[in-house]
Amino acid sequence: NLEAPEIPVYSVKAHKEIVNSIDGVGGLGIGEGAPEIVTGSRDGTVKVWDPRQKDSPVANMEPVEGESKRDCWTVAFGNAYNQEERVVCAGYDNGDIKLFDLKTMSLRWETNIKNGVCSLEFDRKDINMNKLVATSLEGKFHVFDMRTQHPTKGFASVSEKAHKSTMWQVRHLPQNRDIFMTSGGAGSLHLWKYEYPAQRSKKDSEGAEMGVAGSVSLLQNVTLSTQPISSMDWSPDKKGLCVCTAFDQTVRVLIVTKLNKV
Amino acid sequence: MPVWLREYRWRQSAAAVFLSLPLPPLRATAASIFCTEQYLKVSIPPFLFEAVLYAPIDDINSTAKIENGNIFFTLYKKETGMWDSLMIENANKEQLQYLRENAVLKAQEKAKEEAEAKKVTKQEHKKYTLEAMMKLEEAERKRIENLKEQERQKVTRELELWKNEQTYTEGQKRIQREEKLRQEVEQLKENKKEKITKPTIPNEGTSKTTVKHTKGPSSSSMFSENLKEEQLPAPRSAGTIKINFTSRVFPTALRESRVAEEEEWLHKQAEARRTINDDLAELKDLKEEEKNPDWLKDKGNKMFATGNYLAAVNAYNLAVRLNNKLPVLYLNRAACHLKLRNLHKAIEDSSKALELLTPPVPDNENARVKAHVRRGTAFCQLELYAEGLQDYEAALKIDPKNSTIEKDAEKIRSIIQGTSQDL
Repeated sequence: NLEAPEIPVYSVKAHKEIVNSIDGVGGLGIGEGAPEIVTGSRDGTVKVWDPRQKDSPVANMEPVEGESKRDCWTVAFGNAYNQEERVVCAGYDNGDIKLFDLKTMSLRWETNIKNGVCSLEFDRKDINMNKLVATSLEGKFHVFDMRTQHPTKGFASVSEKAHKSTMWQVRHLPQNRDIFMTSGGAGSLHLWKYEYPAQRSKKDSEGAEMGVAGSVSLLQNVTLSTQPISSMDWSPDKKGLCVCTAFDQTVRVLIVTKLNKV
Repeated sequence: MPVWLREYRWRQSAAAVFLSLPLPPLRATAASIFCTEQYLKVSIPPFLFEAVLYAPIDDINSTAKIENGNIFFTLYKKETGMWDSLMIENANKEQLQYLRENAVLKAQEKAKEEAEAKKVTKQEHKKYTLEAMMKLEEAERKRIENLKEQERQKVTRELELWKNEQTYTEGQKRIQREEKLRQEVEQLKENKKEKITKPTIPNEGTSKTTVKHTKGPSSSSMFSENLKEEQLPAPRSAGTIKINFTSRVFPTALRESRVAEEEEWLHKQAEARRTINDDLAELKDLKEEEKNPDWLKDKGNKMFATGNYLAAVNAYNLAVRLNNKLPVLYLNRAACHLKLRNLHKAIEDSSKALELLTPPVPDNENARVKAHVRRGTAFCQLELYAEGLQDYEAALKIDPKNSTIEKDAEKIRSIIQGTSQDL
């Protein structure tokens, strides 16, 4: 609580190893339903916590006994459009992306994007899941269209290569869910726009619905530093105001203009 | 000695005296005129003209004009009246001297005063300009301040409005809650006590309409708790999802650019572990992968896990034939033999494993502990408790924190003591 910052509202010993990523939903008016926090750790587990329940997670995604564990590098909430529905998406260092449905407590989808997954974000947490962007090592990112799931092929995706280095983070603009910014290991920021295809789903040869991915175009890019930009975020109040941190120990506040005209 | 000029002509009116003084030729421009109230001196070196005037004159307004080799003085009298003569006649030397000095002093004083006055006016001017500048700057600053103030007030007004809205909605909610309380209390009095079920509360988004409870609580304390949670569902019931990862041998992250290198490395490793003893006659009918001791070891492990100990032993046998330097094969085979109660073979295999596991380093700690434990178990099952205890103690030495080994060691000790007592 920022008005009494000395005492944490909720604290728990979540994992045996470093917690790599954390996300929250339900509180602050984002998303419907119970407030929850999800954490992903190097011990290969993804745990979901409710601040009203001390010490034990409300959901635990862990490897089968005996299986060697992979680092979970990123987690994200999504699909929280009513009180029951919620999904957690987790990305691992071996390129796995797994989508867990918390309502049915099951694994809904998984795929491997051939490069360690650095950052995942749904375009909005509080709507029916629409798009998921996953950034990875080797400067690639994938945009998945999450509205149509094919039984075998999963979700349709489009991918782009940029930055020529690890893409550390992706963040969607809160005011426009088709614009997102990616930050790269070469100290650059790229602003992208996603365009939907004419038809978002079509039938395949067996008659099952299959998603169609759209296209991504680069709106603008800038190189701010020689060191990786490890994290960035948009302001929820002012359109175009964003802040980013970099390994050169600076915090930069940026203004992106003309977003109305995009 | 200066040359006195004594030729002069003068005439007078009631208010003024007009004096004309012829100048020696070639000297008109270098004249220096000194005039005070009662003394007039014209000095054109080496010529000198001096006059101690009959009566005081107004030296500020009097004028002197130099033209055509003459100087014309127009001296305005201080007091009107006709003078008897221009100069004081019967002035003696001392008086003259005194008057002269006086005049000089007076002139000096006047000069000083003028200088002072000038200074003062200059200062005042400076002050004035400074003040004017300050006023301008002040005005500018005030303007900016005003703009800032306006902005600030605008924002505070908005904040106030928002706050009021919040308090208003809070008030509304409170009123609703109180009403509900009353209703529910009444309902309680009528209904029987019911068990509490999970309150499924609809969206907060429709807070303006009345919110319904599904079942009434059984006591008022639980009731207030329910109210607090009325807008949120209860914490999720805990669940676990088991996952499998896409397998990866290396602990590092997967990168496309490195995949080719990694494959090559693995390939080379597999090659290095391949057949050391190449027994062509028997092995030629084996499949490629069956010649790989690692693959065979994995097979053996799987069969051990499913309980098929004989098959596991077969796998390990073949693997050992291919590569008899891998201690892990002997270890696992020992475990199989234990399960199959081939205790002597178990002891043999554990011993062989321990041999291969020299030198004793922290890396093969786990393996050595396992070897000792298995051998110990085999000994005990053969009732050779002393040797068994030796092995267990060796295991404990490597891994003192393992409580199961400790317990087993204790058991063996007690058995030994028990049997020795019997004897």
